[in-house]
Amino acid sequence: MSITTSSHAVVGTPLRPLRRGRDNCILGGVCGGFATRLGIKERNIRVIFALLTLIFGLGILLYMTFWLVLTRSGEEHSIIQQIFQNRREAQLVLVAFIATIVLIITLQTTGTRTSDGFGWPLLLSVFAGVAVWRGASLDERGHLTEFFDTAPFIGGAFSKSRKGLVLRVVVGAGLIFIGLHQLHHIGGFWGSAGSAIIGTAVLVVGVLVLFAPWWLQNVRELTSERRERVRAEERASMVAHLHDSVLQTLTLIERAAANEGDVVRLARNQERELRQWLFSPETVTNASTSFVGLVGAIEHDVENDYGVRVELVTVGDCVPDERVSTLVAAAREAAINAAKWSEATSVSIFTEVEPTTISIFVRDQGVGFDLDAIPADRQGVALSIRQRMTQLGGEAIINTEVGSGTEVQLVMPRSQ
Amino acid sequence: MTDSAQPRVFLVDDHELIRSGIRAEIAGSVDIVGEADEVEAAIEMILERTPDVVLLDVHMPDGGGQAVLRAVVEHATTTKFLALSVSDASTDVISVIRAGARGYVTKNISGPDLIDAIYRIAAGDVVFSPRLAGFVLDAFSTGSDDHPLVIADPDLDQLTARERQVLRLIARGYSYKDIAKELTISTKTVESHVSSVLRKLQLSSRYQLSHWASERHLN
Repeated sequence: MSITTSSHAVVGTPLRPLRRGRDNCILGGVCGGFATRLGIKERNIRVIFALLTLIFGLGILLYMTFWLVLTRSGEEHSIIQQIFQNRREAQLVLVAFIATIVLIITLQTTGTRTSDGFGWPLLLSVFAGVAVWRGASLDERGHLTEFFDTAPFIGGAFSKSRKGLVLRVVVGAGLIFIGLHQLHHIGGFWGSAGSAIIGTAVLVVGVLVLFAPWWLQNVRELTSERRERVRAEERASMVAHLHDSVLQTLTLIERAAANEGDVVRLARNQERELRQWLFSPETVTNASTSFVGLVGAIEHDVENDYGVRVELVTVGDCVPDERVSTLVAAAREAAINAAKWSEATSVSIFTEVEPTTISIFVRDQGVGFDLDAIPADRQGVALSIRQRMTQLGGEAIINTEVGSGTEVQLVMPRSQ
Repeated sequence: MTDSAQPRVFLVDDHELIRSGIRAEIAGSVDIVGEADEVEAAIEMILERTPDVVLLDVHMPDGGGQAVLRAVVEHATTTKFLALSVSDASTDVISVIRAGARGYVTKNISGPDLIDAIYRIAAGDVVFSPRLAGFVLDAFSTGSDDHPLVIADPDLDQLTARERQVLRLIARGYSYKDIAKELTISTKTVESHVSSVLRKLQLSSRYQLSHWASERHLN
């Protein structure tokens, strides 16, 4: 004989726990939760709540209660549990609750007509809303902020755009007007309306006294949070840059440790990049709109492609036009020539932008060559430099001698 | 100079690795009389040991090379300063020269070149790297049409055509010897031109010298 205990006590549809929905939620996920639990379409549940709302706002009240009491799917505690875990929060919410009750009783006893009984469920719901916000998890708060930001009316009203401002002013002024109008109805401004205004003022001050510390703390939390975020973002961009360039280069250097040429090339490359990032970020972003940026590209390419050090000195800068680009192209030919053929370890480039002329000097201290006996394969390049400069109305002078280096001087008049 | 003709050299740099690298490269050729890794110690020891040449790092905590120069330059009259830097922020370089350094080289300079520079500094010369020559030309540039210059003292505030020529050749990568040959003047004359540029750089009160960097960005 044996006793069998079934692990599936209920046969049929497994009873899912009643949790507020996460994926099928609009606001708090209450309807979604019921839908999941009961296996009904969310839309039906929403219609039921909407209909219940017609009965003295019962739907809203029920919704808020469930919102507070039900645990959100994927989370450990319900909002009400969350609130009571923290003593300060619990006190705050209790005070707010009592204030709401007092407010309701006052309104009832003073006989203010609060739209035929819709008043107190609304007030309670507002209180519940505050409680929800205080107790909600960070994730849910994120969801709510997103919801309100994208909500057609509220989001617009709280945005900082001109439209939001207009919306706020119109709505605010409208409400104030309605309020004054109501007061007038009570019986003349200096009649009972006076005491009503005083009563309201006292009420507002009371609410302020109750909520100011909480509100201030909230604001403070927000500012420090924002500052923290800005700092984190700055740090992130720094880290990203260091990671993308410096760390990568260091890894490459480690891997290329055996090859001295590669190590030097990588280090130079990184040095140049880092220096530019630190000291003249504007030329990094404006490489195409600055003459110095264009010449810097020669430095970069020649060092990378030929492993030759380029000593670049620039004086003055200008916005490049087509002619300047041609001049730089000629200088590039000269620099590549020097890197390829001179056997020197470094090439000097000096550029000067003056009011009437732009000059570029490309010099190496390599083997030099005999100008009258240029090898056939180099003639084309010399020609292309010279031809370019003639087209520009400038000139190219090539100073060289076997054994004493080469200097190419490019001088171009600036168009006015 | 105690030991034959080797200049007595003092090292100031806050990076141990850089100091040991420089030491290894120049140890045989010069007499290293000490080193310091911070501004305060450097000031004290330079005043005490009066070296011939101080190799001075531009960037250090507590004010860097400029702070050392400010504290020492009036008291150690026989000591000469050569600025060493990894950075090429033109304002830094110009300020350290204006504070009293007689030359500027970058830290990736080769060993023999550095030794050569130390000997020239010790002999009273001025050492301009091509890049420094470029900065100086820029600083003394005649300004654009939008920024007409107010020249207070034409002797100090402007470079002569010859000085300009010499600086251009330095920027193009010419050695003093090459420059002398190119301009058919003596090496001594080249040196005197460079010294005069240095003097103008240090003494000129030209508005543009202190503000030229920011102005350049405006152009």
